[in-house]
Amino acid sequence: MSSSGAAGQSAKPAKAGSSQPSETSVKRKRGMFQKDLQHMMYGFGDDPNPIPESVALVEDIVVEYVTDMVHKAQDIGSKRGKISIEDFLYLIRKDTPKLNRCTELLSMQEELKQARKAFDVDEEKLASLE
Amino acid sequence: MNQSKDPFEAAYEEQEESPPDSPLAPADYDRRPASPPSAAAPASQNAATAPDDEETEHVNPSDPSPSAPASASAKIKGKSKEEDEDEEEENMEVELAKFPASGDPNKMAKMQTILSQFTEDQMTRYESFRRSALQKATMRRLLVSITGSQKISMPVTIVVCGIAKMFVGELIETARMVMTERNESGPIRPCHIRESYRRLKLEGKVPKRSVPRLFR
Repeated sequence: MSSSGAAGQSAKPAKAGSSQPSETSVKRKRGMFQKDLQHMMYGFGDDPNPIPESVALVEDIVVEYVTDMVHKAQDIGSKRGKISIEDFLYLIRKDTPKLNRCTELLSMQEELKQARKAFDVDEEKLASLE
Repeated sequence: MNQSKDPFEAAYEEQEESPPDSPLAPADYDRRPASPPSAAAPASQNAATAPDDEETEHVNPSDPSPSAPASASAKIKGKSKEEDEDEEEENMEVELAKFPASGDPNKMAKMQTILSQFTEDQMTRYESFRRSALQKATMRRLLVSITGSQKISMPVTIVVCGIAKMFVGELIETARMVMTERNESGPIRPCHIRESYRRLKLEGKVPKRSVPRLFR
């Protein structure tokens, strides 16, 4: 299919029914998230065995979504060269469920870090006792 | 604490090592031996969803029961790959026995009643919902290829995985709504997903590109 990509595009073939190839680099292979997406789609209400074309389409959409978000975050983040969490939080500020989820994830990370630190300290104590 | 990691993380490790071929993996589900949830309960209870209250309100009404309590557990698992893999089986049981809610006893009781009345089918679907996650490594690779910079911090990867999962949820749930409107049944087809994506764009939940995408 000649429409399957611009010059120099990735090697992935055009999927049936998919009309949104993203302009990622050549390194991107097909089905990056395929297995995980199948489970996820089932969890959110799809059939236990989702149609492969649907999975591929969802993956394309998600990659495009992430790409657009990251580009916007880069624009916001004053082109620091790295992306900071603040930029993302600003981007999704209007979307309350996502914002809550992100703050929850971040606080959970902190807790886990603390917990791991505490565990390491305990281990050292145990080791020194032995 | 003698338990090296959160039970949800352990459950993720387990899932990662042996992903079942189909989302319905009876072997995966049955393999759990009965195990005392009490040891793991307090630790993960605190770590589990503090602001679960808000999340239950935001549940999409089109798919209430299986996806009702969006919880952090799937995400906890997603983010701590660095931990060891002990006590996986024990933690799988814990993960489902653990009714995620804030410390609020009312919420916990409600969750418990809901979860205890799940049918087998609903339980597997809920399990898939909780435990599925996008791989951090893959996401990180994607982020690196998008930004061109190698410095993607861990929190960013985790947050992006979480956001993407919620976006998938919106997509699928809207697609289901589209299907019921059209009185169709069965697995979701690409046309439903495209229609759902179009609707999400109209609602403004999808970021619009400032420069139109040229070569499709």
